[in-house]
Amino acid sequence: MKPQLPVEQLLRWRLARAEAEAPPAPRGAQLLELVRPWWETWPERFQRLAGRLSQLDVAYGHAMADSRRTPIEHPVPVMIVRDSSEAESSARVLYFNIRDKQLRLRFQLSTSPDMSELAYEATFVSRSTSKPLFSSSAQRSANGDYSITEGLSAELVEKWSSLKVTDEMPFRLILRPLDGSS
Amino acid sequence: MDEPESLRSKVAELMTAGAAARQRGEEIVAEQHFGEAFELAMKAANVLQPASNPARVDILHIATRLALECGDVAKAERIVDETDSMELSTAAREEWRRFRNKTEWPDAWLIAAVRRDPPNERALDILAERHWKALFGRCQLLTLNPHKANDLGQEAWCRVLRARRTLKPGGNLPAYLATVATNLWRDRNRSARRAGPLAEERLLALDAPLPDEQGQTVLGEVLPDLNALESHEQAMLAIDIDKAMERLSPRLRDVLVARYLIGESCAEIGERYGRTEQTISSWVRAGTREMRLYFEERDRAEEGNLTR
Repeated sequence: MKPQLPVEQLLRWRLARAEAEAPPAPRGAQLLELVRPWWETWPERFQRLAGRLSQLDVAYGHAMADSRRTPIEHPVPVMIVRDSSEAESSARVLYFNIRDKQLRLRFQLSTSPDMSELAYEATFVSRSTSKPLFSSSAQRSANGDYSITEGLSAELVEKWSSLKVTDEMPFRLILRPLDGSS
Repeated sequence: MDEPESLRSKVAELMTAGAAARQRGEEIVAEQHFGEAFELAMKAANVLQPASNPARVDILHIATRLALECGDVAKAERIVDETDSMELSTAAREEWRRFRNKTEWPDAWLIAAVRRDPPNERALDILAERHWKALFGRCQLLTLNPHKANDLGQEAWCRVLRARRTLKPGGNLPAYLATVATNLWRDRNRSARRAGPLAEERLLALDAPLPDEQGQTVLGEVLPDLNALESHEQAMLAIDIDKAMERLSPRLRDVLVARYLIGESCAEIGERYGRTEQTISSWVRAGTREMRLYFEERDRAEEGNLTR
């Protein structure tokens, strides 16, 4: 009779073998280059876009003052950036919640649906300092809204935890279509 | 005026508070405590003279540790450089040498150094190197392809680095990396599974209990000490295990890895999949049964070849 072995042991052996055959680990420099945010690669472009977002903010402020819109609507200025074009837009925040250090955000773009992508890389830009905060992927849902779930730094959790969906958001957004999402 | 002893006692209190905060996962608070403790330690060191006064060297040692707890490698290195010119015992010299050699640093110091802006590249090198084999092994068992495993492992690292400010120096980095990689792999397969009605159908059929399977499942044709096999036999066995795993749907493969390699209970796996413990248990049995079938078929084929 031939000896037999439990699946668990077999899998453990395979795991050990795979570990032993692992290729060299990626270098720190290589990993950092891969995660280098676009605003560090193209700082001038970021500065220009951040400047346009500030102008949009002012324009929305004036429009709000001129019109009789209800003050609880605070559109978030948005720049949609494609390879060859940049478009101004705004986002209406539909849901904003921070739980377990995770931001859950849902927003609707004012851009017409044919302009919208399946997914964007959303860069959060501080409203007060115009500096980049972080980026995350925004996925389009069936009804055309975009949702983001992202882990926040403890600093942002502390600052943003008390925000309500009706509050003026402390950020503006730069959206760049994610590869292959259109 | 603050006496060195009084400063030292405050440093000790802050260090304890910092360690407790880190344990609770309150990294900002931990860094604040360690940072304050560092400043006080340096103040105490400046009060104590001469430069090589043992009490001063001792408090500098504490300050260096505190700088590293905060991930401030430059500050730590400045202090270590200062001790180069001091007359120290061989044992003390060896202690200080450990501060220089980053490969001897615990994960907590390396993670703290990676959390900072800009992240310390050397610390990241060491962390990546230290945990790569385990991460790659896990990815290999999920993807069953070394190139895909390499990509998945690298992607997991990228995910972790993009949110590096949320990393916890007191946490379990290898487990976190493995979880991130597994989640990435699951996400990819989830969409593929949704797209493939056949795969879903197959999984639903596997919900049914398998009454003929009792207790621990064993595979035939395997020697007890696998490492005692000839190298070519080991290579063949690895291929066979991969082929057997390939027969499983990604979900069943995930369940077997979670159950046997991560050690999750069927109840824990069931919670993730929204299924009962019994269902997961039947999936585990179905997965092992499928693997066993592969080996049985292979044995029959080999026997057929021999008798031909």
